[in-house]
Amino acid sequence: MKQDLNCAAARERFALLLYGELGFDEEERVESHLDGCAECRAGLAREKAMHAAFDNVEVAPSPALLRECREDLFALLADEAAPAPARAGWWEKFVDALTLRPSAGLLRPAGALTLVALGFAAARMIPTANLSPQFGAASMTPGASRVRYVEPAANGRVQIVLDETRQRIVSGGLDDQQIRGLLLAAAKDPSDPGLRAETVEILNTRAQSADVRDALMFAVQHDANAGVRMRALEGLKPFAAQPEVRTALTQVLLSDANPGLRTQAIDLLTGGGQQINREVDRQLIGTLQELMLRGEQLGYVRERCRRVLESMNASAETY
Amino acid sequence: MALKAGLQMDETALIRAAQDGDHAAFEQLVRAYDQSVLRLAMNLLRSPEDAHDVYQEAFLRVYRNLHSFRFDCSFHTWLYRIVTNLCLDHMRKRKVRKEEPTVLATAEGPMDRMDAVPEDRVDGDPQRHLFSGQVRQRIKAVLGQLTPRERMVFELRHYQGLRLRKIGEVLGTTEEAAKNCLFRATQKMRAALGDFV
Repeated sequence: MKQDLNCAAARERFALLLYGELGFDEEERVESHLDGCAECRAGLAREKAMHAAFDNVEVAPSPALLRECREDLFALLADEAAPAPARAGWWEKFVDALTLRPSAGLLRPAGALTLVALGFAAARMIPTANLSPQFGAASMTPGASRVRYVEPAANGRVQIVLDETRQRIVSGGLDDQQIRGLLLAAAKDPSDPGLRAETVEILNTRAQSADVRDALMFAVQHDANAGVRMRALEGLKPFAAQPEVRTALTQVLLSDANPGLRTQAIDLLTGGGQQINREVDRQLIGTLQELMLRGEQLGYVRERCRRVLESMNASAETY
Repeated sequence: MALKAGLQMDETALIRAAQDGDHAAFEQLVRAYDQSVLRLAMNLLRSPEDAHDVYQEAFLRVYRNLHSFRFDCSFHTWLYRIVTNLCLDHMRKRKVRKEEPTVLATAEGPMDRMDAVPEDRVDGDPQRHLFSGQVRQRIKAVLGQLTPRERMVFELRHYQGLRLRKIGEVLGTTEEAAKNCLFRATQKMRAALGDFV
């Protein structure tokens, strides 16, 4: 029986506890100490707050940097001599021979013979072997696949649902419905900001279409990456006078975390000095006054709001 | 476990194809890992230029040495071993030369180079925004004071989510040594941030 921990020993283990890196017994001892010590529970809460604060300094590389890195690397590789081929040992050669890979060379006939012999032996030894043809096909399919779902079936067998992707190249004009559909889906792909940025840039050339504009408005308001939002804003510039685009821009102005985007939204909403109608004026004044009222620490954005309100002969405050 | 095995199966096929000189397979491998490699380099070095250099050098080394990869460890571990070594070299050089500080002196006062990188998180509460800004600055300062190894272990555990056993494998050390490193790092962070959290 191990001794109970004292406060100092328990606190020393907080970080590892939060990272889930304590062994079962150690974790039990800390938990047991925490049960009876309010001071350490408060200490653990502080440790959790510190962990949460660490998350705020993580930096996500911009899509532009990722794209630049990829382009530079692939350009370098194009100039690079082909890498030395893998020099396989006897075991690898044997496995290659069994899988009939070309690298097996002269061993391929021997491999084929071995496979036939193995198949014969297996058929004799496992009379009930009854793999479904789909599984056989799926396991040999090249491309990415992942297990989506597993379920025990009768007779101790397992049913596995695989998600499979195969690479396929499609090409066509932007007016092609299939191409358009793929691009609109790629613009929302949560896994790859670089892909979204490139897609949005392509879609920007067709922003006169309502479906593309909808995708751009979605991106400018909801994309997690500021670079993608910035590109979507570029595509919407020529349509800044349209009511639904103005609604999206107002949302950017009010809630985007990036001051650059907010400033651009002000420019677009004020029409770059162009005449805008009185109804639009009133809405814009309301939005700008709301921003001023919030008193946020975005000095430059705030200053721009104040100047625009002044130019409209409007007060910086609401009464 | 089954999911991991499924992914592993395809990765093995990709690596073998790349080893046989299939450029498309190598490109697919790069795209599968390069975002996390770039994120790791960017967070550790806090400089887009250095992160770019590490990215290029790491994948070039992988390309040139892929023939010697014999599946003794996972490809992820092998790649991260290369990347972390390159990052550690950069950080050690920087410590010695005291060059390329992340905080630059500008006409408007001190500015962190990474503040130029767009921030994705939305924080509507101005008070909280100001406070979290101060905490961020303090954390960045403390991270800069950790030794390169402490910084690396902390990065791999906290931001990359690697288990200490895996970190040990990547850094060529034991799980216990990685644990001690993480312990020292968090102690230093706690001491420096005590009055903030």
